[in-house]
Amino acid sequence: MATRTDSALSGPALYEGTKIPAPVPSWVQVSDARRESGNVLQVNFGPNHPSTHGVLRLVVDLDGEEVVGMRAVIGYLHTGFEKTMEQKSWWKAINYPSRIDYLATFQNELVFVLAIEKLLEIEVPAKATWVRMALSELNRLHSHLIWLGTMGLELGVQSMYMYCFDQRERVLDLFEMVTGVRVHGRYCQAGGLAEDIPAAFVEEARAFCRNFQKMIGEYERLTWQNKMWQRRTQGIGVVSAEDAIRLGLSGPNLRGSGLNWDLRKSEPYLFYDQVEFDVPVYEQGDCDARARVRIDEMRESLRIAEQSLDKIEQMAADPWISGERKVVLPPREELQTSMESLIHHFKIVTEGYRVPAGEVYVAIEGPRGEQGCYVVSDGGAKPWRVHFRAPSFLTIAAAPTLCQEHLIADLIAISASLDTLMGDSDR
Amino acid sequence: MTSYKRVPGLVEVNEALGETTLVVERERLNEAALYLRDKLGFNYLADIAAADYLGWGGEVAGSWGSAEGRDLNVPYTLGPSLVAEPKPKRFSVSYHVLALRSDPVRLRLQTWLDDGEQVATVVEIWPAADWLEREVYDLMGVVFEGHPNLVRVLMPEDWEGHPLRKDYPIGGEPVRFSGEA
Amino acid sequence: MGIADGKRLADYGLSSERLLMEGKGPGAFEQEVAQLEQAVLATTLDKAVSWAQTHSMWPDTFGLACCAIEMMAVTGPRYDLARFGMEAFRNSPRQADLMIVSGRVSHKMAPPLRQIYDQMLEPKWVIAMGACASSGGMFANYAILQGVDRVVPVDVYVPGCPPRPEGLTEGIIRLHERVIAGVPPAYEMNEGIC
Repeated sequence: MATRTDSALSGPALYEGTKIPAPVPSWVQVSDARRESGNVLQVNFGPNHPSTHGVLRLVVDLDGEEVVGMRAVIGYLHTGFEKTMEQKSWWKAINYPSRIDYLATFQNELVFVLAIEKLLEIEVPAKATWVRMALSELNRLHSHLIWLGTMGLELGVQSMYMYCFDQRERVLDLFEMVTGVRVHGRYCQAGGLAEDIPAAFVEEARAFCRNFQKMIGEYERLTWQNKMWQRRTQGIGVVSAEDAIRLGLSGPNLRGSGLNWDLRKSEPYLFYDQVEFDVPVYEQGDCDARARVRIDEMRESLRIAEQSLDKIEQMAADPWISGERKVVLPPREELQTSMESLIHHFKIVTEGYRVPAGEVYVAIEGPRGEQGCYVVSDGGAKPWRVHFRAPSFLTIAAAPTLCQEHLIADLIAISASLDTLMGDSDR
Repeated sequence: MTSYKRVPGLVEVNEALGETTLVVERERLNEAALYLRDKLGFNYLADIAAADYLGWGGEVAGSWGSAEGRDLNVPYTLGPSLVAEPKPKRFSVSYHVLALRSDPVRLRLQTWLDDGEQVATVVEIWPAADWLEREVYDLMGVVFEGHPNLVRVLMPEDWEGHPLRKDYPIGGEPVRFSGEA
Repeated sequence: MGIADGKRLADYGLSSERLLMEGKGPGAFEQEVAQLEQAVLATTLDKAVSWAQTHSMWPDTFGLACCAIEMMAVTGPRYDLARFGMEAFRNSPRQADLMIVSGRVSHKMAPPLRQIYDQMLEPKWVIAMGACASSGGMFANYAILQGVDRVVPVDVYVPGCPPRPEGLTEGIIRLHERVIAGVPPAYEMNEGIC
């Protein structure tokens, strides 16, 4: 292929047919000879750009309109989550992960709380797990809606933005009903949920799901049957399954290349092995395939959410948090009668609960891919080390591989179809 | 079940909380990684996480209570809990790998090093390690020998220091209030 | 912040919670704005210009993090920003009047932020949206600028993490009130660092 043989800097290929550049997998380099020929222009898709989905800087070498060199520079949103969480108690640290991937807010705090619960070896009541599942799937819907709206905006199908944001508001209404705020609800607690769900939630959520079923059909007509969309996504940004595994892609980016890998089916967590749903997989590996995976996933999320809502309705009177008093606050009524409850309450609020020493890695299927959390505890009331595995970090590193030999307009389509998020990648 | 006895440089195999950790010698990490990828089928590198254990083993964070009357052997009792085991060296670098197939297996490949010691890069084995190792270098200061592009990825290029180390201050400023001068 | 004679807007009785306060219905607010305008002695032409500025104040696309999503929600169908004439987010700072800094600003992002601000043409306003832009928010650490007013002069701070779209709209309305009352943009104030 032109870029590989052309570059004097390429090293030995990983395997036959790989498109991953060498020696640096995340940097498509232009040979000095080509650069000196005077045809190559280096352009900055600077951190402030409408189509880079956040503060991403792409340094792109262009020969006319063709992308001949590219690398990504990130870090413009580096927030120091991991170090900040080491300073806070376990309880307070749960506030932070929500802000990492700010579209999949619930799933971020879920993965951190799952890691804490794994270290604590605490049992979570079934109702809490079903509610977490329902909210996770609604969160996935929320993330995919915003992805679809912004991808439409960038590919020229601008009305998608308004339609998707309208539906997104309804999802946020449900979150507001449960957590009190639209986003960053901080609803997960070690041992279950912070509070019981309101009585009207199941009915409202069902009404939303019924309405949203019809909307998905409308979105498909606005996208697949739109010639602009087809021409800009089909055959663009193809990545083979083997390359996708090597690059560490996950989630819809893997499933768009033909790999049937979804953590909810392959390594089930919560109660995903007790619900029926399908995993959409498309073979082509181009932008269109990745987009179709996400839209089909929206349908499957509705199925899972509806099944979870049925379960929640049956368990309306069940506890929503574990009864383990060393970790979970006792109910307020008990504080008036039981001395021990008062002491437990005091200790948990002032010192914080202790998590036994150990290290765990928990991974869940977020909307962007494998969202992981590596936690090391020293047995104390504060985390010793928290590390988040961000799917967008590796996706952005893989973007140059996908963008080789494409036109600059395809760059926008590829970066939109990869669904990266800077808060997630920069942490 | 997979047997890890023949992994090169193996020091020990830990099984805890449903997870398997293979500790290997720092010098033989590359061989171990190749063995895992080619012989045992761990084709997917999910994550590289480093941890700094400077100050580990001292007073457990948050232990403000007194020990009188508490049973030290019961985990997460409100009181000083079990003292964590001492760690072999200052830094641990953990590679979370996955055998991505119909019967998936996850594994943590771990190696220990002191400040100043280098680890061989696994970029040639799992290209996903490119940016993951850059992040570990940027935030922890662990140098990966043989990495083709080991520059900072999250912090600005001219930043000094490695923020996630335990001897690096948290930073920030004291909060000003509008009533003050 | 103060106007040339050092008094604060609140000293003139200007408040956006007018509708919630007893006796301060819409009529009373117009009275206050009129009093303020007399105090500032804006000419009819100035008033006309201010009116025009507030009715088509185009923001720059400076969404950084979670607040950016709520800022996008403000442009959405439910919290319609187009009723203020502001739905046209300009990608080029040369064409923008308002920079809504929505999200946490890291030290790496501060120079591009200042560069974008410098590229905007006067008159220009800055809204610091959210806790992170106002003061660093929940991130008191090595990576985050503790308040965007360290690098750019800010007109309105909108609290919240993230602020509700109604909250951002309130901040925008307060900015419009400020402009209509004749208060100059923050970079002309005698306080502030820039």
